[in-house]
Amino acid sequence: MIRLSAKNLSSGYGDKEIISNISLDAKPGSLIVLVGPNGSGKSTLIKTLAGLLPAKQGDVLIDDQPLQNLDLRVRAKQIAYLAQDRQAMPSMNVRQILELGRAPYRGRLGQISHMGEVAIMQAINYADLKNFLHRPFSQLSGGEQARVLMGRALAVDAPILLADEPIAALDPYYQLAMMEILKAETSRGKTVITALHDLSLTEKYADEIWVMDKGKVVFNDVNNNGLPAELVEQVFKIHMIDGRISPIKVGSV
Amino acid sequence: MRLILLILAAIACILLSLFLGSAPLSLTDVSAALSGNGSELNQQIIWELRLPRALLAIFIGAGLGASGAALQGYTRNELAAPGILGFSACAALGAVVALYFGLPHLVTPAALIGAGIGATLILGIAGLKKSAGVLILAGVGVGALATAITGLVMNFAPNPWALSEIVYWMMGSLRHADMSGLFICAPLTLLGIGCLWFIGPDLKSLSLGELTAQSLGVSIGKVQALLVTGVALCVGSGVAIAGAIGFVGLFVPHITRMIFGPDPARLITRSAIAGGIFLLLADMVTRAWSGPGTTLYLGILTSLIGVPFFLWLVVREVRT
Repeated sequence: MIRLSAKNLSSGYGDKEIISNISLDAKPGSLIVLVGPNGSGKSTLIKTLAGLLPAKQGDVLIDDQPLQNLDLRVRAKQIAYLAQDRQAMPSMNVRQILELGRAPYRGRLGQISHMGEVAIMQAINYADLKNFLHRPFSQLSGGEQARVLMGRALAVDAPILLADEPIAALDPYYQLAMMEILKAETSRGKTVITALHDLSLTEKYADEIWVMDKGKVVFNDVNNNGLPAELVEQVFKIHMIDGRISPIKVGSV
Repeated sequence: MRLILLILAAIACILLSLFLGSAPLSLTDVSAALSGNGSELNQQIIWELRLPRALLAIFIGAGLGASGAALQGYTRNELAAPGILGFSACAALGAVVALYFGLPHLVTPAALIGAGIGATLILGIAGLKKSAGVLILAGVGVGALATAITGLVMNFAPNPWALSEIVYWMMGSLRHADMSGLFICAPLTLLGIGCLWFIGPDLKSLSLGELTAQSLGVSIGKVQALLVTGVALCVGSGVAIAGAIGFVGLFVPHITRMIFGPDPARLITRSAIAGGIFLLLADMVTRAWSGPGTTLYLGILTSLIGVPFFLWLVVREVRT
């Protein structure tokens, strides 16, 4: 199984360092949820792990090989990335969007291989897209669009999936649907790392929880024993009791 | 099937254009001249005037159409075009400088150099942060600078003759088309379209946004370099031969999109053929319309068709 890890990783934009000195090891086949307040560096960490943002220091390793040594297309076959903003060409239909997931495998003229067709069919099943396969992207609801783009990421059929806030701005039905899709991926042996804001969904679905604050991983709960109350208060400035959250009175922290 | 029809339409337009001109030639005259028979005058008319002019219209239109399709695909903005992103203005500046110094025979290389310098500048600025938004800003800025310098050159034109030469040249025309122009323009345009065709599949991935495209193995820097080189070759060689011809690269991709669907990779080749057909038809209109002493310029006609189309796009954009 392919293993993703990071050693003393620092990264950011321009001269600004957003995440610093992060070391981690993603256990293959697990659903790892990254939580932390806005600006804590979740997106930056995900982009750096995906190789989309160069590390300022340290390395992202795939099976002990530095990510930056890999050819772009080789990397693309190992790590699928689901972006936070849901962009696609409005007039493209769902099937055409799913085919884009096979881009790392296609040549300049290339047709989709048999393996590619299988991967697309599986993505259609896993993300439950068969009912609107030929509808243009612009005619789908927000939840359907999110599922289509998730399907696009699944169609890559990479051993590692990095999903940046995949349930943001979705209604509860689609939030759960998306989490179920991610969980099912891990049951097929894929490693999934995702950033979430919803702490109760995090505790419900995560195999492992990484808590980020101010550019560092401050807590690593490898068995998801639940987030300690003091940590939640300190990092998120809220109370959480039995999955219910409530505000802390201003000034009491 | 629709692609074959498009190619057949292009061939039909080329053949049709061979009959158009001040000397009326019959079907037998044209076919004899094409096969190397018939009178020497007819052969000269076909081989040295009408055929090069038709083929140049096809190549220049193809370069503009493919450039527009690729730029719209890369920027994911349907209003992007080589004219708006500064490429044409840079090529035009090169040519205008040559005319300023009274060197009309150097217009072609000067326009190509202008396009090359412009492309390098645009790419240099856009390279600071490799994203479509920065490319648009860099293109608009460099284009505005080139237009300003062109104005300055005209301002200081040494004599009325040079000024009028510049003004006529900027209206765009194929009336000086000949075989030597074709031999310069065709290979450069084909090379340019080749660069654009090569990045077609990457443009498809880019429809999902830059980050996702990168995650699918697309190198934004490489795509941007090939895009700018391809557009500079197409636009530079076109402007070098025919002067400033605007708006073809803007609206031809829209029409092809309506026929062939949104796939940006397919649109590059389709827009090339459609652009060729459009420019040839427009040139045929200018030839039919121009009487002795009054010339309708090709660039004026394409702008007159293109600008209302552009405004219609803006209105449609606002409404949806």
